[in-house]
Amino acid sequence: MAPIKSLEKEYPLIDTNFQSFCASHAIFSVEDFLLHDIDALIALADNHSASQTLKQGIDQLLSIIHTLHPPLLNGLQLLEDSQRNKHVLSTGCEGIDALLGGGLREGQLTELVGTSSSGKTQACLLSASTVAKHKSSVVYLDTGNSFSPQRIARFVGQSSGYVSDNQADHMLKKVLDRIICYSVFDIYQMFDVLHQLKINLRSEIVKSNQHVRLLIVDSVSSLITPILGGNGPQGHALMISAGFLLKKLAHEHNIAVLVTNHVVGGEDGISKPALGESWKSVPHVRLLFSRDCENNVCNISMLKHPSMASGRAASSTMFL
Amino acid sequence: MNEKEKEREEIEKWIEGDESAAEMLSRVSSVRPFVFPPPLHRVPLRVGNVLELVGPSPSAKTHILIHAAITSVLPKPYGGLDHLVLFLDLDCRFDITRFSRSLIHRITRHGTDSYDRTLYDLCMARFLYVRCYDSFEFLHTLRTLHCRLEKEKEVHGVGVHLLMIDSIGAFHWMDRASMFLSQRENNKKKLFLQTVSEAVVQNIRKLLQVHPMLIMATKSVIFGNIYSKASNDVKGNMEERCSKNVTRNHQNFQYREYMPSVWQVEVFYE
Repeated sequence: MAPIKSLEKEYPLIDTNFQSFCASHAIFSVEDFLLHDIDALIALADNHSASQTLKQGIDQLLSIIHTLHPPLLNGLQLLEDSQRNKHVLSTGCEGIDALLGGGLREGQLTELVGTSSSGKTQACLLSASTVAKHKSSVVYLDTGNSFSPQRIARFVGQSSGYVSDNQADHMLKKVLDRIICYSVFDIYQMFDVLHQLKINLRSEIVKSNQHVRLLIVDSVSSLITPILGGNGPQGHALMISAGFLLKKLAHEHNIAVLVTNHVVGGEDGISKPALGESWKSVPHVRLLFSRDCENNVCNISMLKHPSMASGRAASSTMFL
Repeated sequence: MNEKEKEREEIEKWIEGDESAAEMLSRVSSVRPFVFPPPLHRVPLRVGNVLELVGPSPSAKTHILIHAAITSVLPKPYGGLDHLVLFLDLDCRFDITRFSRSLIHRITRHGTDSYDRTLYDLCMARFLYVRCYDSFEFLHTLRTLHCRLEKEKEVHGVGVHLLMIDSIGAFHWMDRASMFLSQRENNKKKLFLQTVSEAVVQNIRKLLQVHPMLIMATKSVIFGNIYSKASNDVKGNMEERCSKNVTRNHQNFQYREYMPSVWQVEVFYE
C-alpha cells in the first residue's frame, strides 16, 4: 500500500498540512493509519487549529480505505466461482484420483507426504505429464535435481497409442514444451520465481491456450527446513508467507498446487509429516505415501481433506 | 406507624419481584438467541460474546463453524435462527462445496429426498464470506465492516448476528517477524505483533459496540512439541491446556485481556 504522500496528487484534501499532522502521530502510510485508533485521532484533530480540514482529510483517508477492502462474497457467488473456475485435474494415477474424487482441485494446495523413495516425485512427474498432455502448462519447481524428462517421456509413451515414432516424438515434444522447470535451491529463489509467475499471470491472461493449471514444488520441505530452527521467528514467518503466497496464486489464478514434504520421527517412533504444527494449517489436502519394498506397491492414505473423511486409503502400482 | 407502613411497603415491593417467569424467559431468550447443535449446545452464548475454539489441526474446528453457520442462516421453521453470517477466512482454506453439501444434508433431513431449491438459495445467499491474506487486509476488513454489514442488512432484511474468524492466529508468525514498524520507530519499543493485535482487538470492540453480534474464532495450536502430547491425552485438563496456550500465544494473551467476553473453550475430537 501507499505512503500518504503519494496520495496528495489524486486527493487534494491530503495536503502538506494534513501530512505533517499525520507525521506528528507517526503515520506515514495507509498501513500506519490502519493501525492507529481513529477516534483518538479525530479527538486530536479537534484540538488542532485547523480541525475542520484535518477531519476532512481523515474522512478522505477512510473513504480510500473503503475502496481497497477485500471483496465480500455470498455463498452463491462463492459456489459459482468454485464450479466455474475450480476444475479437477487428473493426476494420471488411478489410485490418487479415486481417493481425491477425480484428482487435484484448482485453487487448493495438495501436499504429498512420505519417506524417501515412497513415490512422491514419481507422482509429481506423472501429474505434470498428465496435465501437460491435456494442453495446459505446468510450472515445476525442482529443488533436488530430481526432474527427469526421460521419466516424463516414459509416462507419455505408455498412455498414448501412437503407431509411428514420429507422431509420438511430436507429442512428447509438445508435452515437454508445456512443462516449465525451474531449479530452485533456497526459499528466496522460490519467492523470486513465484512473484515473477504472479506478475506474468496477471499480464498474460489472454494467452489461454498456455494456461498454467498446475504448480509443483518438489520438495517444499527441503527449502523450508534449513530456515527453521533457532530462536527467531523469521524462519516460521517465511514458511507461513510461502504458504499464503502459494494459496493466493492457487485461488486467484485457478491453479492446482502440489507440494511434497518428507517425514520425521515423532516421539513414539511413529513418523509424522515434517515442518511441524504451523505448516499443518497451510495445505488443503494431505496424502501420505508409503511403499512396500517387496511388491513395489505404493500405499496412499488421506491424512486431511477439506470435505472428505480422513483415513481412507488406496494403493497403486502404476508408477513404480 | 407511618414509618412501619413504609417499611412494609418496601419489603412487599422487594418480595414481589420484577417480572414473572414467563416474562423472564422471553427476555432471556431474546438476549440469548443462540442455540447451536452439539458440541456448542451447552455453552450459554449471547450477542457481544466472543467464543474461541482451540485445538490442533485437524480437530474439526471448521466443521463446528460450518454447522453453526448453517444453523444461523436457516429460517426459523427449519430450526434455524434466521440470521446472516459473515465468515472471515484468514487461513484461506474454506471449501464452499463442503458448506453446500452440509446445507443440503440439513435441509433434506427436515423433508423428503428432493430439497427445496429456493430455501437452498436463500441460505447460500445469507452466508457472507471474506478472504484475507495478511493482517492489513484483516484490519481493512474489520474497519470497513460496519458499513458493509449495514448494506447487507438492507439487501437481505435480516442482520448479521454471527461473525466467524478462521483462524485468529493465522498471521501470528508473519506479524511476529515483521520489520514494518521497527525500521523507523526505534524510540517506540513496541512490537509489530502487539500493535497489530491491539488494533484488531480495538476494531473488534468498536464493531461490537455499533453492531452487536456473536463472534466465533478458531485458534489452531501452533506449538507442536507441547501439544502433540496434549492432543493424545483427550481427558487432559482443558483449563490447564487453555491457560498454557494463552500464555504461549502472545496475540491471544492480548485478546483475553482486552475482550470482555465469556472465555469458553471447547476442544472437540473426532
